[in-house]
Amino acid sequence: MKRTTTQKIKYRLLALPLLLLGTTSWAQSTISGKITDYAGKPVKGASVSLQNTIDGATTDSAGKFSFTTDEKGNQTLVATEASHEAAGMPLMISGDVKDILLKMKKMQKLEEVVITAGSFDASNDKGKTVLSTMDIITTAGANADVVKAIQTLPGTQQQGTQTGLFVRGGDASEASILIDEMVVQNAFFNSAPGVATRSRFSPFQFKGVSFSSGGYSARYGQALSSVLELNTLDLPDRSTVNLGLNMAGVYASGSKLWKNSGGDVAVSYNNLAPFYGLANTNVKYDKVPEGGGASAKYAWKPNKDGLLKVMFNSTIFDSRSVVDDPDSAGQQLNFGIKSQTYYSGISYRQLFKNKWSLYTAASYSYNQDNIDYAPDYIPGYKIKNTDDRAQFRLEGKRFFTTRFNVLAGVELQHYSYHRTLDSADFTAKPSFTETSMAAYAEAEWSPWYRVAIRPGVRYEHSELLHKSAIAPRLSAAVKVGAYGQIGLATGIFYQNPDNAYLLYGYRPNFQEAIHYIANYQWMKSDRTLRIEGYYKDYKSLIREHTSFYDPNQYYNFVQGPVDNTGYGYAKGLELFWRDKKSVKNLDYWISYSYIDTRRLYKDFLAEATPSFISDHNLNIVGKYYIEKIQTQINMTYSFATGRPYYNPSNPEFLGDRTPDYHNLAFTVNYLTHIKKWFTVVYAGVDDVTNRENIFGYRYSADGTKSYPVKPALYRNFFVGVNFSLTEFNRDEL
Amino acid sequence: MKKLILLAAAVCLTTVTTFAQNFQEVLSKAFTALDTTWTQDKKIEASNKLGLIAKKFDKEWLASYYASYGKVSLTFNEQDGTKKDAYLDEAQSFLETAVALLGKDNDETYVMRAMIANSRIGVEPQKRWQKYGAIFNENLEKAKELNPDNPRIYMLRGISKFYTPKMFGGGKKASLPYFEKAEGLFAKRTDMDITKPYWGKQTNDYFIGQAKGEDKE
Repeated sequence: MKRTTTQKIKYRLLALPLLLLGTTSWAQSTISGKITDYAGKPVKGASVSLQNTIDGATTDSAGKFSFTTDEKGNQTLVATEASHEAAGMPLMISGDVKDILLKMKKMQKLEEVVITAGSFDASNDKGKTVLSTMDIITTAGANADVVKAIQTLPGTQQQGTQTGLFVRGGDASEASILIDEMVVQNAFFNSAPGVATRSRFSPFQFKGVSFSSGGYSARYGQALSSVLELNTLDLPDRSTVNLGLNMAGVYASGSKLWKNSGGDVAVSYNNLAPFYGLANTNVKYDKVPEGGGASAKYAWKPNKDGLLKVMFNSTIFDSRSVVDDPDSAGQQLNFGIKSQTYYSGISYRQLFKNKWSLYTAASYSYNQDNIDYAPDYIPGYKIKNTDDRAQFRLEGKRFFTTRFNVLAGVELQHYSYHRTLDSADFTAKPSFTETSMAAYAEAEWSPWYRVAIRPGVRYEHSELLHKSAIAPRLSAAVKVGAYGQIGLATGIFYQNPDNAYLLYGYRPNFQEAIHYIANYQWMKSDRTLRIEGYYKDYKSLIREHTSFYDPNQYYNFVQGPVDNTGYGYAKGLELFWRDKKSVKNLDYWISYSYIDTRRLYKDFLAEATPSFISDHNLNIVGKYYIEKIQTQINMTYSFATGRPYYNPSNPEFLGDRTPDYHNLAFTVNYLTHIKKWFTVVYAGVDDVTNRENIFGYRYSADGTKSYPVKPALYRNFFVGVNFSLTEFNRDEL
Repeated sequence: MKKLILLAAAVCLTTVTTFAQNFQEVLSKAFTALDTTWTQDKKIEASNKLGLIAKKFDKEWLASYYASYGKVSLTFNEQDGTKKDAYLDEAQSFLETAVALLGKDNDETYVMRAMIANSRIGVEPQKRWQKYGAIFNENLEKAKELNPDNPRIYMLRGISKFYTPKMFGGGKKASLPYFEKAEGLFAKRTDMDITKPYWGKQTNDYFIGQAKGEDKE
């Protein structure tokens, strides 16, 4: 009997787990409740479950959930949702659990704070930029000229007769243009005096453009005002052939993509006869500008994190025109120019294990202009300008953490300029050669995600001037609120004196500018607001001690002792607003700049606002895409208040002002295809109203007669078509 | 007594085997739920389930792989770009887990990478096609190197072509050969073995119907 009892007990004990196994499946508990965010708003679509089980449910639009589980005892309830941070709470289950309330925190997108004071970035890669490169290409009135498009941004001055980028009180020499971190010697086409020209580069070859109107990085120097960085595309996206025809010429290009490398070649022939034929022009051409260009590029990725680029390009141009004589108002002169430009560069970038990166680049450029400068009073006057520049950069960067990195680099420039002046009466051959060296270091540190600091220092040495300088730089940004941030930037910037002084043997010291910039930027989905204020202190500008002011901006001859006693300031307030959201398919931006600037430099007779400054500049750029007809309509309206000009009879130096400047431009792009060719037909009108803008007045030697300074063109039309064919990859099928 | 011990052992064994079967069954059920529903709410529910399965069965690459698929498929009907990106972040993270469990990518994970890239483009096509288009192509090429008979490679290429404007070499007509190629390869699979991904046939059939229509000019 006894045995049977123990046996029975044993049986029972053995059966116990079986029973337990059974009971659990019979005793399910229902878990229910609600998920909200911290503002009490229900969270829809959240996954609520017991941790490490698949017992769970998804919340409905009221944030409610309910599920059953076999689990018992101490459990953890977890909730996840894509736009909220995961949340959890302990749960003791012994039966049904009702009315659970679990709160989830809305995900604060940890967008890295970006240093923006003084700079506008346009990029295809980066997520958050104010502009994309496509925006630049499609800006009306810019005719696909990067620099012209940049002139619709705050801080720039409208120009009609002078070539270059004029930023925050600075003249064209104060803006440096860089391609892949190499200085571009002659970024613009050479032209006759008084004819503003476009930059040489097609915007289609760039993946990113960064425009700094001040406070730029320690990696760059030799620019008192501004740096425009252009970064070329890496490997082509695909193999394509491109053909184009417009009123300025024809071109063809092709790119080929191999497995880890790619190449591009392009040739063009330019002849502006059709363009000038239709334009309302103020320049008489004996020979319309005609020329051609060729370029080639090869990019190779030797490994996942390395990239080698080699490029070459050249252009030649020839034109002859009758223009206003910059030396003698009211007279004209024949001006012939033949120019040739060559550029070759090589660069290599390598990232090592995401900890180190190395960048090295070398380039060589050569330009030659042969000018027939033939006023009646200097028979057979010829000018030949030759310059060349070799440069090298080596830079290493160490990423200590994702929030802290340090870079250091060196830069070498060898630069020479030769001029030959030749006439029946005299011959002169001024020249100079400069070797400069710079070393720099910069750190980027983000101690908290809301804060970023970028201190830097740059050492510059000029062999020609026998001078050295140390330029500290600092910029910072702090996020305020979810969409806003405040930025600050300051620094010291040095620049050599203009070539005109160096060429004639003057060796003054560096010119200097100190920038102080503060901005506020607010960016939410497709709207951007930016307000920026600055103060810029110009020191040791070049001064010619003379009692005669020469308003000729082209071939200045230095008159009198030269030193660094010039000075000046610029201060201003700028606004930028861009909105891509309010109206479907409409994208527009408004930029406004106010500037107050005066300086005493060059042969100025007194401190004054220079002749290239308008106190108020306004640009309204609009782009509207009509899906139905695949057409984009772009408009740009520019306004600038009158600029100073020199009236010898006014006792106040540069005290007169021209009338206001207005310009309205339209372009239309129609996208279609002809057979397999993607086709863009574009047409544009600049100065639609045919307004006769005036950029100043010139006075005859006796001061009695004045002549307006006119741009080369009033209303003008531009029409073109581009065809591109993308290789159909048979391997895909 | 003996009988009872055997019984107990048998019960224990079955629980173990049901556990393995359970994984595939649960996965298959959740996946089918996802693949056969068209409403976004139901898709979210199914995708959440796949997410739970991936967390529970954290040694099974398939679980994370399908969880990734679940998250990507939520972007098709989602209009909000930020939300799409948030789903894609989740998809990417599940996919990385799947690849880590596998040790290296296989053709299906490459296809999934391409699919995520394609959905990234959908958020901001004009800004993103350049970067993510390259990632899309690269991963489909890698997938093709490993398994040229994976129909999803051609289906994704077809979808990408289908939504590319005709003027850029896309359009319905241009996409059709890709869907047809995929159709032939889909036809070779008749089973619904969850351990070997088979998804996409219905989608492909849908697009074939669409691609046979007239292109808008």
